[in-house]
Amino acid sequence: MAIAKAERLMNLALCLLGTRRPLSKHELRESIEAYVEAFGPARGGAASGPERGATGSDDSFNRMFERDKDDLRELGLVIETVESLDGEIGYLARRDSNRLPPITLDAEEAAALGLAAKVWQQARLAGAASGALQKLRAAGLPEGVDPYEAHGALEPHIPVHEAAFEPLMLACRDRRPVAFDYRKANAAQPEQRHVEPWALECWRGHWYLAGFDRDRGAERVFRLSRITGRVRSRGGRFGAPVPDVVTVRETVAGWAGETADRSALIRLRSGAGYPLRAKATAVRELGDGWDELEIPYGHGLDAWLVEFGPDVVVMGPAELRADVVDRLRAVAKG
Amino acid sequence: MAGKPVRPASAIDQTRRMLSLVTYLRERPGARIEDVARAFGISEDELVSDLDVLPMCGTSFRGGDLLDIDTDGERIWWHNPAALGAEAAEPLRLAADEATALLVAARAVATLPGLREGDRQALLRATAKVEAAAGEAAGASSRLSVTFESEGGVFADVDRAISERRRLWIRYYSPARDEVTEREIDPIRLVSVGHTYVEAWCRRSEARRTFRLDRVAEIEILDEPSAPPEIEPRDLSQALVQPAAEDPEVVVEVGPGGRWVAEYYPHDSADELSDGGLRITLRTPDPASLRRLALRLGRDGRIVSPPELADSARQAARGALAAYDGLEADRSAGTEVSHPGRADGRGEERPGTEEQRL
Repeated sequence: MAIAKAERLMNLALCLLGTRRPLSKHELRESIEAYVEAFGPARGGAASGPERGATGSDDSFNRMFERDKDDLRELGLVIETVESLDGEIGYLARRDSNRLPPITLDAEEAAALGLAAKVWQQARLAGAASGALQKLRAAGLPEGVDPYEAHGALEPHIPVHEAAFEPLMLACRDRRPVAFDYRKANAAQPEQRHVEPWALECWRGHWYLAGFDRDRGAERVFRLSRITGRVRSRGGRFGAPVPDVVTVRETVAGWAGETADRSALIRLRSGAGYPLRAKATAVRELGDGWDELEIPYGHGLDAWLVEFGPDVVVMGPAELRADVVDRLRAVAKG
Repeated sequence: MAGKPVRPASAIDQTRRMLSLVTYLRERPGARIEDVARAFGISEDELVSDLDVLPMCGTSFRGGDLLDIDTDGERIWWHNPAALGAEAAEPLRLAADEATALLVAARAVATLPGLREGDRQALLRATAKVEAAAGEAAGASSRLSVTFESEGGVFADVDRAISERRRLWIRYYSPARDEVTEREIDPIRLVSVGHTYVEAWCRRSEARRTFRLDRVAEIEILDEPSAPPEIEPRDLSQALVQPAAEDPEVVVEVGPGGRWVAEYYPHDSADELSDGGLRITLRTPDPASLRRLALRLGRDGRIVSPPELADSARQAARGALAAYDGLEADRSAGTEVSHPGRADGRGEERPGTEEQRL
């Protein structure tokens, strides 16, 4: 059976961390058992001109070696590539650039971080969060406090159900343009969008992407659950400047009708419509089984009022009343 | 690559863990397996599998430098800690993803209104220290953010009732029936998944229920002790609302403007229709609760079955329209204009999905 990947990566990491001089690809191939087993000894032994007379197994070794280095970089190792005087490429991970700066955390701080590290429900970030905690643990983070014990009965979770999350997270991190098919809320067909992704934000359990929409030449916010199909990476760099502060929430709150700029007057049957009452700025009892309420009038209020059926009557403004009547007629005809 | 990864990225996770483990074990000769597994947040089996790999690893080019680490099943011994050299086992800096994962989560948890002040302060201090230690790697963490929402006062009362093991009285709004009911509950735990919920034993229905905190209209901590029966804890992380197999089936057909229904309602199936709409089949213990959905959908969708439900929505709409007849009904041409921009139901609150059996 092939040697497990973790063993191979571990040996490569220890070799690169343990050396004081750059090690050539050839040396690494010879000294790591997993490479020897998979590809046999390196050919010729000549350290120079490794490309000359390369065989299929050299090619596959090279590919694996590149992937392995990428994997180690993914977990935080800074690997330098050094060219020696005679043109040979060598690799090393200097202690100076890989050492965690001194950090001292007390037991309370440790417990708080322990709680935070458990909230991710996305495999990659959950792994990264525990990895961070383990590195801090190795650096002396106090132990022995159960984070849930210390924080009572609270169990926060960050939900991530959207397949587009991970590729977009990486694209935001690396500032890579992307393309994806996006179906607007009321569109029959998805449409391809070209986006320079800036930031992802989770609000009320849903993920949103803010970025520069290249086709529209302006900032846009996308809801991840409406992305269909794969997120594709595009080459090149961002063309538009990235703003210092990206605010997704204000945009989404506007969609959700939470940025009301007007107010509406409605009649509500006594005892009904608690959430409308909770939002009301004024309530007056009419005495005949009805109350009159003043409520904020933002986007989507018409659809919400219709849900209450015969328990709500819109008094004004006329535009809102017309919208509600229009919706009711559509249902009545149904 | 012919390995047998148990879950994605496990080789990377395991490598990262073993690198930290080496540093950790070096400082703690004879560390107990149990303690190390707990400190690393892994099972003892996972730790033992790491301990199987470590003796195959070393720093250098000849077998003599392999790590001589073994265990007697209880404690872990490292017989040649010098094998890594003087400084080769120092703690490693955080990777960008690690810093992001930890910092974003810490900032999110710090926004929980119900968090105890002492805990919040500890978290903020820790966040600042981790940011400083992560250096450049912390930069990308600003590209991800999470906000939890919960009602501060209600949260604090529930939290206190749980720690003091006391019963709660609440007035709770149920959108399915558009009514506020009083009930006594024995709180078990608080869960934040976007919204914050309390899982509790409901004394009125004698069953486990979850209540969304922003629907608690009033709350009081009672003197009676809380005594929820012993029940299996559930994994609430995936879906808070899990319809049961015996629940009645509802079929809804929506046009493109009603596709949001599939995003908000857990459903059995959602089949594409030729007009860009969906045919959605879902189950609910109380189909009448979906009358609100039918009303909200308007011309963007209709209830296919059960027919009683479709009928009750029609009746409700007619009843509502009757009230406008008395009020100089506006029958001008403008009323028939549709508002596609508003027909998408982007408002966040959906009826009928909360306070159901779990």
